[in-house]
Amino acid sequence: MKVIRLAIVTFACTCLFTTPFSAFAQTSDNATSALPENPQENKTTPAPQDKNAPAPPGNPAAPSLQDLGFPSDQVQGNAELQARLDKRAHMLKMHQRFGLITIAPLLATLVSSAGAGGKSTDSTTRNVHMVLGAVTGDLYGITAYYAIRAPRVPGTETRGPIRLHKALAWIHGPGMILTPILGAMAYSQKSNHEKVHGIAAWHGPVGIVTGAAFGAAVLSVSFKF
Amino acid sequence: MHKKILLALLLLALPLLAATDSQWVLEQSTLAYHISHPLHESQGVSHAARGKGTCHDGQCDFLIAVPVKSFDSGDSNRDIHMLQVTRGAQFPIVTVRTRLPESSSASAPIHADLEIQFAGQTAQYKQIPFQLVIQGKQTLISGTIPATLSDFKIAPPTLLALPVKNEMPIKVEMTWHPQ
Repeated sequence: MKVIRLAIVTFACTCLFTTPFSAFAQTSDNATSALPENPQENKTTPAPQDKNAPAPPGNPAAPSLQDLGFPSDQVQGNAELQARLDKRAHMLKMHQRFGLITIAPLLATLVSSAGAGGKSTDSTTRNVHMVLGAVTGDLYGITAYYAIRAPRVPGTETRGPIRLHKALAWIHGPGMILTPILGAMAYSQKSNHEKVHGIAAWHGPVGIVTGAAFGAAVLSVSFKF
Repeated sequence: MHKKILLALLLLALPLLAATDSQWVLEQSTLAYHISHPLHESQGVSHAARGKGTCHDGQCDFLIAVPVKSFDSGDSNRDIHMLQVTRGAQFPIVTVRTRLPESSSASAPIHADLEIQFAGQTAQYKQIPFQLVIQGKQTLISGTIPATLSDFKIAPPTLLALPVKNEMPIKVEMTWHPQ
């Protein structure tokens, strides 16, 4: 019985001893909160290890993330998805970079086309046009590769200017395949001292439409319409 | 003997008696971040925040949380990119903690110290002004948090090699009601 009494007294003393400390802890927090030393100063620190379910700092009565009733899949970090997003961002950055680089030879190809056709018998301008076109095609291929191979994010509905950007790919994509084929046919006919005829005669118009669609695709994600 | 046991139980129950006095629940909210780029001005809006406040000894502790992916800028590509640069898959929830005196439940401007956890970082904002309006049982709080990308160590996204501005003000409109 003496042991039980001793245990009860010890327990009671422990409660009496610890209660003021918990009250002190709250008072301390309040004082810090109410009297900021420097109102303009904002501090940044890395979040605790479990960033998504932080323990209420120094106050067990404060609400926790669990109290808000978020589904567990919404609060759990997903390293695999983050890696996927990082890879996607890297590939789309490369897509953007190569797309911008492609503009230069594309414009040069369009400018050089003025002297490549017509009745001129000089093959130099045609060769320059052909080389510029080939460089454009190669760079375009690399640009397209990064867009096509960029990982998709499941459950994402495409909204905004990116829809136009993607829709225009259905014009400049086939155009970038068709233009050099028609160009090769036209080049061959021209080299044989023939007038460009048949489907090869569409090389110019197809190239212009392709270039315009490509330019519009760049502008669609560069400026807000 | 019984008296002693009773005393012990009473002492044990003391912290419980001093527990929560009242609670607040976030009814609806609009949180909007604003980003500036030389070619674009964009705004991402979320209505998915959840919040709770518990009052104790004249002080109310509030927690507001919102999923990063719930912010909608009207451009899915931008939203996914935002999710990537803010590491929103790894740290999917933004949390805001603040403590206000219970007496500030009258219509008036208030100043709150905020602790925001976002993108794996914690930033503290001191004395942020908010407008508080009481409408019946509802309390409307509105204001702007002057957040920046560097506060959370977020590398500014670029478009055409031009980075967005560091400033990322977050407009807050919340309606709370007592539970």
